[in-house]
Amino acid sequence: MMKMKTQVKVAAVLGLALVAGLSSCKKDDDLVPTPQPTINEGEVITTMTLTFVDDAGVQPNVTATFRDPDGDGGLAPDIFDDIVLQNGTVYNCSITLSNETVTPIEDITAEVLEEDDEHFFCFSPSGADVTIARTDSDGTFEVGLESQWTVGAAGSGTTTVTLKHQPGVKDGTCAPGETDVEVTFNTIVQ
Amino acid sequence: MQQLTQILGSFLLLLLSIPAIAQDNCTLELSGYVLDAHNEKPLPNSKVHIRELDITVSANADGFYEITGLCPGEYLVFCKHIGCDAIKDTVLITQSTQLNFYPEHHLDIDEVKVAADKEADFSQKPEHMTERELNESRGLSLGEGLAKLNGVGKLSTGNNIVKPVIHGMHSNRILILNNGVRQEGQQWGNEHAPEIDPFIAGDLAVIKGANSVRYGPDAIAGVILVNPKELKKTPGVAGELNLVGFSNGRQGNVSATLDGNLSKLPALRWRAQGSLKRGGNVQAPDYFLKNTGVFEYNFSGAVGWFKPKYGVDIFYSQFNTQVGVFSAAHIGNLTDLQAAFEADRPLEEADFTYEIGRPRQEIEHELFKAQGYWLTGEKGKLTFRYARQFNRRKEIDKHVPLNDSLAALNLPALRFNLTTHTGEIAWNHNRTRNFKGIIGVSVIHQGNTYQGRFFIPNFRKIGGGLFWIEQWKPKDSKLALEAGARFDYIYQRIYMWVNDEIFSPERNFMNGSGSLGASYRINKKMTARVNAGSAWRPPSVAELYSDGLHHGAAGIERGDASLVTEKALNFTASLEYKSDKLNFLIDGYYNIIDDFIYLRPTLETELTIKGAYPLFEYTQADAHLRGTDITVNYLPSENWSFTTKASILRAWNFSQNDYLIWMPSDRFENSLEYRFKDSNKLANAFVSISVVSVLKQKRAPENSDFAAPPEGYTLLNASAGMDIPVKNQFITVGISANNILNVRYRDYMNRFRYFTDEMGTNISLRVKVPFTLLQAKSIHE
Repeated sequence: MMKMKTQVKVAAVLGLALVAGLSSCKKDDDLVPTPQPTINEGEVITTMTLTFVDDAGVQPNVTATFRDPDGDGGLAPDIFDDIVLQNGTVYNCSITLSNETVTPIEDITAEVLEEDDEHFFCFSPSGADVTIARTDSDGTFEVGLESQWTVGAAGSGTTTVTLKHQPGVKDGTCAPGETDVEVTFNTIVQ
Repeated sequence: MQQLTQILGSFLLLLLSIPAIAQDNCTLELSGYVLDAHNEKPLPNSKVHIRELDITVSANADGFYEITGLCPGEYLVFCKHIGCDAIKDTVLITQSTQLNFYPEHHLDIDEVKVAADKEADFSQKPEHMTERELNESRGLSLGEGLAKLNGVGKLSTGNNIVKPVIHGMHSNRILILNNGVRQEGQQWGNEHAPEIDPFIAGDLAVIKGANSVRYGPDAIAGVILVNPKELKKTPGVAGELNLVGFSNGRQGNVSATLDGNLSKLPALRWRAQGSLKRGGNVQAPDYFLKNTGVFEYNFSGAVGWFKPKYGVDIFYSQFNTQVGVFSAAHIGNLTDLQAAFEADRPLEEADFTYEIGRPRQEIEHELFKAQGYWLTGEKGKLTFRYARQFNRRKEIDKHVPLNDSLAALNLPALRFNLTTHTGEIAWNHNRTRNFKGIIGVSVIHQGNTYQGRFFIPNFRKIGGGLFWIEQWKPKDSKLALEAGARFDYIYQRIYMWVNDEIFSPERNFMNGSGSLGASYRINKKMTARVNAGSAWRPPSVAELYSDGLHHGAAGIERGDASLVTEKALNFTASLEYKSDKLNFLIDGYYNIIDDFIYLRPTLETELTIKGAYPLFEYTQADAHLRGTDITVNYLPSENWSFTTKASILRAWNFSQNDYLIWMPSDRFENSLEYRFKDSNKLANAFVSISVVSVLKQKRAPENSDFAAPPEGYTLLNASAGMDIPVKNQFITVGISANNILNVRYRDYMNRFRYFTDEMGTNISLRVKVPFTLLQAKSIHE
């Protein structure tokens, strides 16, 4: 008789523990009832455009764009221009970046500018007779959103434009940090 | 209030007087032997006590005891031997009964060994970590700790994320049974370590070789068993405190366990356990590794009600970790990778800090389990188990979004929520006509959702399996044979957005698996075992549908929706020899795997605005993996012990006619140990040194990797330990030093080998203090 009672008691204790165990944990999420995968909460840069303006105001403006509208992976880039410059000219170059996966298109340039002490553009011409100098500054180091391109003799080659993200490690060189953008444009000097 | 106390008091009094119900035929007897749990030698002068009758008898020189004149009924029987924990058992006596006791010395409380003897007949014998190996693994992650077992390697992503590797295989090809429950986390990912607190384990064991029949699909390479100690059988409240400190990373661990058993309600047993871990940036010989700290807190509780005929227990555990991912390994593109690889030192350095910044992983795993058994007469035992697991994984990118409003949300770049329900009912039947076996059914229901960057789609998985295993072994036969079969069905449905529409194909997988095995006891010292087993696994959702950029790996990974089931045929053979002077265990294995799924470098690059990325695709190949694990232990005298271990693997990709990628290279370990004589002040004291050599992996496909496999390396390790008697308990103290010579090296199986050297010297100190809070006074010596 008493034994029965003990068992009832124990059953009650275990039952309570079971209930406590089940309820104390997190809410039992529904197992994929209505799937709602979000497309991309993160942030991507899809487009970079270089705009060249002749310092002397003689030659026409030049633009060169790289665009990969669905971001990294997936489809290949749909616009990938060559940079075509006139020999013996000094251009002022400004760079714009944007994210075209969202509507309206997001302007990343402003955000880079806002955190200019964490960003650094590097330019590496190869083959083409171009000398590039950054002309803007974050107060300590250059940034590179604005630059001056001094174009020499006719010829062709490539120019690699790299944006490094260097939070806390920016030292005015290209070495530290993570690469946000790296595009190698064919460069033709006419 | 007083009334209540009185009622409770009388209730308890009544409770105590339950079983001894006087009956006429009080002529039954209880007898048996008291034997040492480890060597089955008799333990004379042990006391056997029946609480209800207050009878105490002593065992004779043969360890034999006898209590006569018992009435039928249920009795609480104690057995006590000096220096051992008292054993308590509730015995239902309806006829004269034989009951043997196997007390264990405090010196090496090793429940495992008792179980190991029962496993001797199995054709795939689990390899258990010894008590000392377990002690030495305290404070390490599960993967790191398991690597102490020969033939178990590791696949690491830095120092904190370590996955176990068996016979060259890992992730979805290894099944981890945590507390008897199939661990269901995000194990498909190479940088997703098992979400288990090793402090829970009182026993860690590995069964190498295919084991699908008993445990279900995925167990192609083997099974890892993580089992807590049994709940306390003797009355009282006792516990254990573990303190561990590591010099490298200045890591500290605290773990405490409390075990209880009410003397008034001996069937009720409980445990509460918790652990804490905190470590900072670790140090390679020449520099600190930025953002390599770890913070972890885990806890668990168990309560059970055990009677001879039935029992139930409930277990709950939570695992919470925050792991820093080495900053310099999070890179932008192939140029960064090249720069990182060519650099002598990581391009980002730091000083020591406990702070965990970006990138990092935050993982939470919750397990709730209810299980029970019910004796079905003399014939067998029915067991059932239900478990629910929640796994929440957050991956926080190195980058804060440029957009301020996005950055302010501070969301992880990637989140996975995985919920799994599993159930199993099995019936074990005792040996009848030389056969014993188990038959059962298991089910699983799983749902995964993600938020943030796409990497794998949402999915739902439902599965069920039926299995039956029988072992044939006549009494006193040297030969034991076993055979098993299993059938599984898995339904899988994924949900993903494709061109703004939900794409949600369904898949069904059905497969049978079987195993045949034999063990033969050649003589008292030597046993041979052979096993042939088949196993399979469906392609994981990641292998089918992943598509995205992997920052740590600087690659674009792409799944293949046309992948089919991977099927394996696995042969293992082993020879075990045990004697006073010499022990050895030689394992050989041959795995034939059809449609082995792996990530193949396509040698193509994909152009993105961040530059070019190499493209990796999941693909299938027919592969053979074969090798051997050898352990030889020689004891020239009582004090000296010499152990040598070798682990060798050859893996070939028949579809590519080349080596298989990402396979561990050959590994050798030699250790020399001096054991001190036990005295009143010191027990189990030892010092040992070991030399570990890992060869360069020359058997990797050419041009398949960003960098050639690193050179081989040799490390010098040492450890010492002892048990110090304090009152009735032993305090266990240990000290270990790894990589004493502070060697600079990189390991092929570490995914961060492109970026950094491995950890330098690491000295750890461990203290284990058992304690007793309440001692039951049931035995009078």
